[in-house]
Amino acid sequence: MNRSTIILLIILMLCSLSLVAAQQKTRSLYVALERAQTEERRLNQEWLRLEYEQRNLSKSSRITDIARKQLQMQPINPGRTQYVVVD
Amino acid sequence: MPRISYSSTPNLVLRLPMWRSRLVLFLIFIGFISLVLRAIWVQGFDNSFYEEKGNKATLRTIEMPASRGKILDRNGEVLATSLLAKAIIAFPEAIPENIEKNKIVELARLLEMSESEIRKKLASEKNQVFLKRQVDLEIAKKIKDLGIPGIAQNSEYKRLYPEGEAMAHVVGFTNVEDRGQEGMELAREKDLAGQPGRRRVIQDRLGRYVEGLGIINPPKDGADLQLSIDSKVQYLAFNEIKAIVEKHQAKAAGVVVLDVQTGEVLALANWPTYNPNTRVGLTGEKLRNRVLTDTFEPGSTVKPFSVAIALEKGLIQPNTQMQIGKKVVIGKKAITDTKSYDTLTVAEIIQKSSNIGTAKIAMQLSAQDMWEMFQSVGLGQAPTIGFPGAVAGRLRPHKNWVPIDQATMSYGYGLSASLFQIARAYTIFARDGELVPATMYKSDVKPKGTQVISAKTAIQMREMLETVTQTGGTAINAQTLGYRVGGKTGTSHKVEGKGYSTDKYRGFFVGLAPMSAPRIVVAVMVDEPRVGGYYGGVVAAPAFSNIVAGTLRGMSVLPDAAIKQMVNKDTPIPLSDSTQKVSLSR
Repeated sequence: MNRSTIILLIILMLCSLSLVAAQQKTRSLYVALERAQTEERRLNQEWLRLEYEQRNLSKSSRITDIARKQLQMQPINPGRTQYVVVD
Repeated sequence: MPRISYSSTPNLVLRLPMWRSRLVLFLIFIGFISLVLRAIWVQGFDNSFYEEKGNKATLRTIEMPASRGKILDRNGEVLATSLLAKAIIAFPEAIPENIEKNKIVELARLLEMSESEIRKKLASEKNQVFLKRQVDLEIAKKIKDLGIPGIAQNSEYKRLYPEGEAMAHVVGFTNVEDRGQEGMELAREKDLAGQPGRRRVIQDRLGRYVEGLGIINPPKDGADLQLSIDSKVQYLAFNEIKAIVEKHQAKAAGVVVLDVQTGEVLALANWPTYNPNTRVGLTGEKLRNRVLTDTFEPGSTVKPFSVAIALEKGLIQPNTQMQIGKKVVIGKKAITDTKSYDTLTVAEIIQKSSNIGTAKIAMQLSAQDMWEMFQSVGLGQAPTIGFPGAVAGRLRPHKNWVPIDQATMSYGYGLSASLFQIARAYTIFARDGELVPATMYKSDVKPKGTQVISAKTAIQMREMLETVTQTGGTAINAQTLGYRVGGKTGTSHKVEGKGYSTDKYRGFFVGLAPMSAPRIVVAVMVDEPRVGGYYGGVVAAPAFSNIVAGTLRGMSVLPDAAIKQMVNKDTPIPLSDSTQKVSLSR
């Protein structure tokens, strides 16, 4: 075996090792990506749930009910409204 | 015994035949060759079996979930949304016999079911049974914490409707499989439904996905759908008809609010209704979207069309005097009014809703002209609004009309229409003679209408319709604080058996507001009011008034009627009159 063969063999070994390392890295990154995507889905769901809750809390029937019963408010009428025209 | 050293073993000198070692060598060589051939065969040619074995251990095809689109109102408020939920599944065989009783009791409590019900399901012969579907995540977690063996959970979606019964007929609902069953959910199923995707991954020993091998088909989320409905107007309209039904002990009621500038439906409500969230006790009565699917004889609400075409043809003027009298006989039938008048002007015929007067005007028209008028405002044709079940009503071809048909049709008997068709037809008065295409979807472009009558006739008709709500008219109750309104009452006998019922009525009011520059058309229908009157002007007009007031205020429309000011004049902004022009910098 001459010297160049040995050098090539070493390079080949290094390449193979780096391939294994790269594969390992890909996989761990993929796992992280998976986790992030799961988290994204969870947060999306959470957002939908919060949006629904907000809608439930702000719907007309609830507001009317609270305004009338708890806050003793009355519906406005045009006679007690000052109209402002925005140019 | 003589000792023989190894070197002098007689065996060593024994010469074996050469062919024996050759044979062994050859056999070993054959063995290696067959191994090599086998290896080539397995790896190169017949590799599917082992590849499959390998893949089974690591390759997975997994589903990529897609969600159903939301339904939104015109302001982006959520009307229907899908949230993640769990299906609770039991594998009866896997549940131990000696399971603690309190765990079952707790499970029953969490699922809001009786203990016996649960036990019955657990005793099932089947491999697996659904204990309950669409269970909230919080409850599902508590069930998981109970740790009962043989109880599993599956992810699924639950459709929620925050507006509940007020919006039920518009939005509709889905079944447990998330497929649209009624209303918009059914009509737009194709766009709303999501398409789950699939992809291939490599899974490691710990169950993690470590490598993606590509997407087989990508998931497609359902598209969101924005309706033209304004949930505030809808709530207001729904509450009004609910109140009417209670007050007059009516069988049913319906209301529709149209934006005349865009043709958008701002509200469409029915009573009786149902809760789309629970969907219990659903009956045809409750499910029916009466505004669109029920046709009826529209009664006096069609009189303005008969008068408008006569005006258009120049046969009469608003101030033309007509002889009325107690009755008019056409063929074998006598037409009467509830009150008798000697003479009325054309405007007064509308204001007081005289059948005799309208019939006399109609008899001057040709059957074809009248039919064309009714046809061109959309009677006898199903409105194209992309909603399931919208009906056409009935308008017979004018060739089959006999004179009495023409007379009775002029005041709304002998033809049928839905409340929605009537409301849309009234847009010709609101839009200076143009009929606008109606839509359930929010649109930013102003639609092009079809000119049905001239602007002049439309303005004349508006003036007449306004008098209906003034002193001497049939619908004083329609008057609205702050806004000039106009419209037409209608009261029709319901058809029963072969003739008309004597004590079952439908009361209507269809009107527009504000009269100075109409923005909305509101149509209210009350079916079989039993107490407190039955005339449209009594049962339907007050609801019209309330809906107009609330809707126009919500649309920031300035009042066009004189109002008594009660605003405290000591406010910081100086007031010249009730309206103040200011410039806001933006």
